Amino acid sequence: MEKNKSKYVGVRITDEQASILSRLQEDSKLSKTEILLKGLTFLDEFYSLGLDNRPLNDELNALESEALHYAAELKRVRKREEAIRDLIQQLHHIDRIVDKYHCDRSALIQILLDIQAENYWLPRHALMWVSERLGVPMSQIRQITTFYKTFYLKPRGEHLVRVCLGTACHVRGGPRILERAENVLGIKVGETTEDMKFTLESVNCLGCCALGPVMVVDEEYHGNLAISKVEKVLSKYT
Amino acid sequence: MAILKTASELGELRGKILSERESARPCLTVCSGTGCHAVGCERVSAALQDELIKQKLNKDVDLRRTGCHGFCEKGPIVMIRPNEICYLRVRPEDASDIVSQTIKEGRIVDRLIYKDPITGAKIAHESDIPFYKNQKRIILDNNRKIDPMSIEDYIALGGYSALAKVLSTFTPQQVLDEIKKSNLRGRGGGGFPTGIKWETTRNAPGDLKYVIVNCDEGDPGAYMDRSLMEGNPHLIIEGLIIGAYTIGSHEGFIYVRQEYPLAVKNTEIAIEQAGKYGFLGENILGSAFNFKIKIHRGAGAFVSGESSALMSAIEGKVGEPRPKYVHTSVKGIWDRPSNLNNVETWATVPLIINNGSDWFNKIGTEGSKGTKIFSLVGKVNNTGLVEVPMGMTIREIVYKIGGGIPNGKKFKAVQTGGPSGGCIPEKFLDLPVDFDALTKVGSMMGSGGLIVMDEDNCMVDTARYFANFLADESCGKCTPCREGLRQICKIMNALVAGKATKDDLESLQDLCEVLRDASLCMLGQSAPNPVLSTLTYFRDEYDAHIKGVCPAKVCKALVTYHIDPEKCQACGLCLKNCPVEAISGEKGIVHIIDQEKCIKCDSCYDICPDKFGAVIKISGEKAPPIVPPGTKMKRKG
Repeated sequence: MEKNKSKYVGVRITDEQASILSRLQEDSKLSKTEILLKGLTFLDEFYSLGLDNRPLNDELNALESEALHYAAELKRVRKREEAIRDLIQQLHHIDRIVDKYHCDRSALIQILLDIQAENYWLPRHALMWVSERLGVPMSQIRQITTFYKTFYLKPRGEHLVRVCLGTACHVRGGPRILERAENVLGIKVGETTEDMKFTLESVNCLGCCALGPVMVVDEEYHGNLAISKVEKVLSKYT
Repeated sequence: MAILKTASELGELRGKILSERESARPCLTVCSGTGCHAVGCERVSAALQDELIKQKLNKDVDLRRTGCHGFCEKGPIVMIRPNEICYLRVRPEDASDIVSQTIKEGRIVDRLIYKDPITGAKIAHESDIPFYKNQKRIILDNNRKIDPMSIEDYIALGGYSALAKVLSTFTPQQVLDEIKKSNLRGRGGGGFPTGIKWETTRNAPGDLKYVIVNCDEGDPGAYMDRSLMEGNPHLIIEGLIIGAYTIGSHEGFIYVRQEYPLAVKNTEIAIEQAGKYGFLGENILGSAFNFKIKIHRGAGAFVSGESSALMSAIEGKVGEPRPKYVHTSVKGIWDRPSNLNNVETWATVPLIINNGSDWFNKIGTEGSKGTKIFSLVGKVNNTGLVEVPMGMTIREIVYKIGGGIPNGKKFKAVQTGGPSGGCIPEKFLDLPVDFDALTKVGSMMGSGGLIVMDEDNCMVDTARYFANFLADESCGKCTPCREGLRQICKIMNALVAGKATKDDLESLQDLCEVLRDASLCMLGQSAPNPVLSTLTYFRDEYDAHIKGVCPAKVCKALVTYHIDPEKCQACGLCLKNCPVEAISGEKGIVHIIDQEKCIKCDSCYDICPDKFGAVIKISGEKAPPIVPPGTKMKRKG
């Protein structure tokens, strides 16, 4: 299997298939990414027509497994048709964002931020698609997504709980609020509850120091928070 | 909206906007800064809107959402013009009284005005409230008058007139001379003379040059850049355009943390509006000068606020600093000359142009001119944003403006300069705050966080907090910072756990010196400040920790929780709130904490009513007598 290369959105294709793909590309004057998207759309239509799921060829088969992998990442078991449709939709979304920045490599961080704003986290196939579209190596994307704090490489819970540990909140007891939140949710900071309801995080300053200690759930601020109130605040969201 | 072609067209536009607005017309302004947002200003302004419609006044009264007023402690804030009545902590329920009494009848709603915590005197007018009275607001002033999403509001107050003045009557050299004469120093922390920085970039070889606004306000405890960017984005944009004209740049960047969504949004709107009037784009105000601005959202990395790191982030790379043998003002973004200034610095530029450098030179101290915005936070009565002339003493800021320490506690220290700064003890309370004085006592101005600490704060814990923060944020590129901070953290963590020795303190000192001398960027070079300053001024606390005692009773490993049997009223509050069921007792029976089970979460201490004060924290002192389970409580009074 050494010859196999992971080139497109986690799809492993052989050299032979790669040459077919490049021939296809020459004939149709489409970019490789467009052909792959077309393949996926085709697969989607194929299912919607109610045909059997006999694999068309290895390539589409691999695309399908990527879609299922994506579904599994979401910890949801879904129909494969739905999973594929979602994947297509997501790649279209990413294309739209990339086009908005005119495929500019220096906009990489902005593109990733926009993708995350829509999707809440950055799945592997999304990063690979960006890598393909911008021509930026995957290693560089990995470097960026792990360097900056904002990026999530794992699915995030439904509610994002952020406890401020900035200096002003620290002197007013922020760490004890965080500890209490950890106890109430039964997870450590940076983790997500098993039911995917909550993700708990600490932040370095939310810029509303006058209200310290502050805990923010989604976009709602809970300022001047007493330790004894943490449980009550969180129970509102369950 | 038509593109303005001359400076006089701007004047005409301003006249038109002003003529359409009656200055005597009552106006309700609701502070919509982040602090007030968090306490529900949206609901207040919606309630006021409804009430105005209900009482059929919506056509005669303006309702405006403005940027941060600064007095965040007392939000949401509502101001009523023209008589400048200031209502604090307004709830949506108060809307009907405000409209029917104040707007209709001109009466003041007594319960909503400021009450002096010491004298009990009530103050209705904003300018009389001590928090505002003792400030000198030249940059922040317009924040509370304009709707940040309305360029017309900004123009009505004379906005973009500095730009018009520059483009029509100044050569770039003249602007540069004026800025140099003003002695403006960078507000981002370092205090480097702005004029000299501009000149370097202006004289650097190359056709393409960039100007950048640094709004990557990573210092925990500081939020003045956020408030300015959110509340008055046009002021910064105007400053940036003037700077670009001086330097000869045609493209600018505004780097904003994406943690500040409102700042991003308001800036985007402001750039669009400025473009529509022709303040951005080609042939600005009929001159030959072209300029455009892009927003770059930062993705959350403290070190990216460093100039070379910020520039590589703009290039779409990892925001790591590089050695600066060649300054970024000569080789910055894509190796082209790039001039980076902080939000507050850019915001000061239009004021200097409008009022002249002589006016600016009259404010402040010998070495530091002008005003500085501080975020006065922590253990202080009036928290919020304060703008004071350079040279005001810490005592004046903390006591006159800040109203002193809450709950009659004792002042211990003030921390300035964020993680790169230090803790200043009580003996320096009369220190005039400016760039040089702060550096002299081992701290720094930084971006302007002023975090007040009282006797309940442990200085060792504070130093540990900063060391951990910096170790977490170190990019890891250079060894002294990466490894040095790890070692410092190790010792600091041992200290708060009561496991450190005297030798550790010596190693700590050594590590700090290496870090200061050998790190690549300012993050590492200034990282020892919090440790060194506390080690110098609060040595006794370090020594106590070595003996296993935390004098402020903060460090968990050195503190135990007890219930004083003499004081316990057996109310059951602590018992119900204990997350691990470590407290036993029942009605009428003194409650007891099981030390084995106790996780020292502070819940019981927090919940025990102040009038009882039965839960006590102990570190190094004798524990109260242990009573057998089932002891009857003694009723008080």
